[in-house]
Order: sequence, then structure tokens, then C-alpha cells
Amino acid sequence: MSLNRPILLVLLVVLLLIGGLRHWLPEEQKAVSHDRILMGTVVTISALAGNGHDLEEAVQAAFSEMSRVEKLMSPHQVGSDLQHLAAPTSSVTVSSETAAVLQQALAISATSSGAFDPTLGGLKDLWDIEGEHPRVPTQTEIAQVLSHAGWQKISVQGQSVHKDDLLTQIDLGGIAKGYAIDRAIAVLQEHGVTLASVNAGGDIRLLGQRPDRPWRIGIQHPRQPQALIATLEMQSGAVVTSGDYERFFEEDGKRYHHLFDPRSGYPGRLCQSVTITAPDATTADALATAVFILGPQAGQDLLKQFPQAAAIIIAADGTALVTSDDLERRLTWQ
Amino acid sequence: MAIKDVWRRMTLLDRFLVGLLICAGVLAQIWLGSRPVGATVVVERDGRVVFQAPLDTPRQIAVDGPLGSTEILIEQGLVRIIASPCPHKVCMGMGAIQRTGQVIACVPNHLLIRIDGPPEETTAEHAYDLLSR
Amino acid sequence: MPMTSSAVNPQRLHQSRRSIFLALFIALAVVLHTMEALLPSPAPWFRLGFANILALSALFLFGSRAAWTVNLSRIAVGSLLLGNIFSPGFLLSLSGGILSTTLMTGSRAVFGKKIGPVGVSVLGAAGHATGQMIMASLVLLRHPGVWQVFPIFLLFAVAAGIANGIAADLLIELLRNHRSFQPSSLGENP
Repeated sequence: MSLNRPILLVLLVVLLLIGGLRHWLPEEQKAVSHDRILMGTVVTISALAGNGHDLEEAVQAAFSEMSRVEKLMSPHQVGSDLQHLAAPTSSVTVSSETAAVLQQALAISATSSGAFDPTLGGLKDLWDIEGEHPRVPTQTEIAQVLSHAGWQKISVQGQSVHKDDLLTQIDLGGIAKGYAIDRAIAVLQEHGVTLASVNAGGDIRLLGQRPDRPWRIGIQHPRQPQALIATLEMQSGAVVTSGDYERFFEEDGKRYHHLFDPRSGYPGRLCQSVTITAPDATTADALATAVFILGPQAGQDLLKQFPQAAAIIIAADGTALVTSDDLERRLTWQ
Repeated sequence: MAIKDVWRRMTLLDRFLVGLLICAGVLAQIWLGSRPVGATVVVERDGRVVFQAPLDTPRQIAVDGPLGSTEILIEQGLVRIIASPCPHKVCMGMGAIQRTGQVIACVPNHLLIRIDGPPEETTAEHAYDLLSR
Repeated sequence: MPMTSSAVNPQRLHQSRRSIFLALFIALAVVLHTMEALLPSPAPWFRLGFANILALSALFLFGSRAAWTVNLSRIAVGSLLLGNIFSPGFLLSLSGGILSTTLMTGSRAVFGKKIGPVGVSVLGAAGHATGQMIMASLVLLRHPGVWQVFPIFLLFAVAAGIANGIAADLLIELLRNHRSFQPSSLGENP
């Protein structure tokens, strides 16, 4: 039987060729994009390119990470750090992550003179702004709740959070989403992704620079739901918008939204929307809330302390203010 | 010459079957290929697909979630939520979607609606890659 | 007492031949199955199905049960080796394999001598393609648009079926002449 030698040799060569080809010619990657409902909104993660790694796996890992952060920092999740912090004890130990995010929140509170404040949990519960029966509380109720709020009542040492007032309710809502987005980007990077975007209900962070052109970010018009007010060109980084149109309820013909002014206990009235660009989403998220409360002038002053950040502020009367020339150059008004 | 060898190794029935299957393939191509794959509306609840329909056929459907029934309207190539049992009706305010990849959702009712389909031309045709709101 | 070499029980001889050759066929089928997975391919599950050559040979030499044995074992072992057991790829292999083997053994039963390896092979290939399509559209992708690729898939399968059928025909001829035995005279179920 002349079956053996030549054929076996050919077979071996073919196998080697196939193996070699597969190794040195990686299959062309197709971009991967998925949506999931997380943190009370639709989160879209798109991985467009990477170092030959599995993009699908990277995106799933990024979602898992965001879910983990949500479980850690949500006041509604049983066993979360935030739930522990709600207990009426003066000292609570939390994870190093929560401690770090809280420290960052307190730093921004200090710099913004309290416009950003992570102790508004009680106020949010009072208004039931995220619940099924939101309502306008009385002045007395608001004053009562505000008496226990105040970022100065909180201090963090290592992983230990100290509350001066036992009834202070910490809420990281104004910064946790940004942190989750930053963590998602980090996980994508760990998986070798080089070009991607994470969009959590309009809070965005971009990874890498597009080869052909800059990223184009549309900015929602605060008063026309189907329209843009501008498009923004970005090389990379985070874009977070806080607006009075995102989450609100109406009572007696007046609109009450979810961005509360810690000084009055009522929703901030100085802006319609604020869009912050910054290198990371945690900072952008916190600054968006702070600038919204502060209004155009004070907000612009605050941003002087954050040279890497810039803002598009749409004031209550609809006038627009852009806080940096570089940002202005990259904007196309619609 | 190789063709003749192949032919010789086939019985009458073999040749008939091959011819039959080739015809079946051609007919299938004519029948299926004439309907281009259009965009599809996909509704997911908790990450699982619960409903699909082509975007080009007008219809109104109700999809159930933990809070109750959400009404979705497909007409003129647009999809929008027209009724939902959620407290803030954010979903209804999301407006209509029509392009592949766009998404609207009723978050409290755990429903996500997206458009699947042939990938569109580059975003140069559209105004932006992502929307910040 | 001389060695009773001439009094070997033909049935036992056939049975051991069958076991040995089936084991060999399964091993070869697994090799072909996994090698094929390495080949670059236009679509994820477009495979030429070379492993079917062995199942065809088993069918014509040893009967229907042998064909089932070869194909099911090949799918199981192949998937274990490729690491995709219980994954979509495995389900597609399985559904394709079951429909394919059913058509192959069924056609042999219905048509007997009138159908040759090429005919059985193209039916098997068409069955494999259809089985995969059905699994993909009903269970995996659940998107009716999946059927778009079916005509191309089918024509591709027919071509591969012809090639595999010829190869099987050659192999069967080779083996029959080499070992001179009558597989179907021992009452195997066709």
C-alpha cells in the first residue's frame, strides 16, 4: 500500500501551514457593541478595536465590572457599602474603592464650596425623586433633613468613614456612575481594547483616538427632545451632561428635577444643562453636578481650579457659555 | 477528465439527487434572496429577546415587564413607546428610533428596544457617534 | 492437534474487524473534524465536512448503526477536543449531524443499491446544512433573516457532498478490495 510517506508528509506540511497562517494572520476583528440596563439607565459599550484580543469577552467583562460597582455603591442594594453607611453609627468601615470615591467627592465638595455634596441621601428620599411617588416636601421637612446633611460632617481615614451626625445619609449618585464608567474603561484596557466607548445614559467616556477623524458627540438640546444643541469633537476622554430634563416630575404645573441645591434643598434653577469634558468620567460626573448648581458665573470660576476640564453651560434663560477657547473651537452649534 | 471519473462513480439516482438539490438551492436563492434583510425591531427583557418584528411593517404590540404592559408602536419605519406603566414615563420621552444600533428603553419595566440589521454607512452620514444627555 | 486457523468463526472475525475499523474511522473523523476547524472560513460554521467521508464508508461497509456511531462519536469527541462542548458551535454540529445521518441512513434503507456514496453524501451534506440552519434560526439566533444565507450554504454543501462522496467511494473500494469481505451478508440492518 503506497498510502504512507508522501501523503503523510503533505499532510504535515498542510497542517503546519494552516497553523502558521492562523497564528500570524489573526482574523479581522469586527466591532462589538452591546446594551444593558444598569444603574437605572441604558449602558452601551462599544469595543471597536483591540490588540487581537477577544472584543466580545472584553465588553462582557466591562459590563460585569459596572454591575459590581453598582452593587457596591447603590443605596438600594442589600449589603452594599452605601447601605452600611446609612446605619446610625458614627464610624463605618467600607471598601477601599468606596473610601477613595468618597474622598474624591469630599474634595470636590470643598473646592465647590458645597455645591457638590455627597450627603443628600436624606433629601433625595424626602422628595422620592427616584421613586414612584415623588412630591414637593414642606419647608419644615426640608429644613429638618438639611440639618443632618453637609459634607463637612463626613471624614474619611483609610477605609474608615466617620460621621459627625449619625443621621447623615451619604449618597454617591452624583459621582458613582462616572466611577463605574471609568472602571469599565479600565477593564476594557486590561483586555487589550484600544478603541472603545462607554455610554451610560448620556454619560460618556471614550477610549483611544479614532484613526480617521475625531469622535463626534452630540449634545442633547435641553428643551427640544429630538434635537441637538451642538456637536462636539473629541480626541478622547469623558463627556458628562447634567440636565434638568433627565429625571423630573411635575406638580401644580411646575417642574422639579433631580439635581438638588444643597444650600436650599430645592432643585437647582440656574442652568438648563451643563456638559463637562474632562480626562475621566468620575471628575466629569461630579463637576457636571457642581457647575449645574453653581450656575454659569460661579461654575466658570470653579472650573478654573480644574484646568483639564471645560464646560458648555446652558443657563436657565437659554444662553450658552463655553468655558474654554479650545472647547469652543471643537463645537459645532446646531 | 476528472469530471468523467466523478460522473462514472455516480449512479443514476445520485445524479438525479445532485441535480435536484442544485435546483432547490437555486430556487431558494431566488425566493429568499429577493427579500433583502431589512432592519428588525428587537425587544429584550432582562437581556433576553422576547419579541422581534421587521421594521418596515406597521404594527402595535404590548410587551410585559415586571411593572405591567408597555405598548410599542412600529410605523413608517420608526419605533416608539406610546404607553408604559412606569412612574416617570422617561421611555415615552425618548422619542422614536429608526436606525440600526439605536436603543430606547423603559428601565423600570426592564425593557430594552433596539434596531438590528444591516450595518449602516459610516457615521459620516449621521451627525454624531454618541449622544450626551 | 494442528492449529485450527482455517476454522475461524467468520462472524467473530467480522465483528472484530468492524470494531477495529470503526475505532479507526472515528479517530480519523475526529482528526478531520478538528483540522477543519482550523481552516479559515467565510462564515463561522461553514465547514466542508470531510469527516463525513468516514461515516459514509462506515455506512456502506458496516451499515446504519455504524454510521451513527461514527458521526455521533466524532461530534462528541471533536467538540471536547475543540473545547466548545455545550456551546452554540456544538449545538450546530449536533443538529446538523443528526439530520445528516438520518438522511444518509434513511436514503440507504429506502433506495438500497440504487444510491451510491455520492448520492448519500450530498443528501447528508444538505441535511447537515439544513439541520444547522434550523437550529440557528429557532434556538440560537432566533432571527428569521438567518435564512438569507441558506441557498449559498446549500449549494456549497452540495459541492462538498460530491467531493466527500467521491472520496468515500474511493476509500470503500480500497478497503473492500484490500480485505475482501462481504459486509452486508451478515444480516446487518441497512
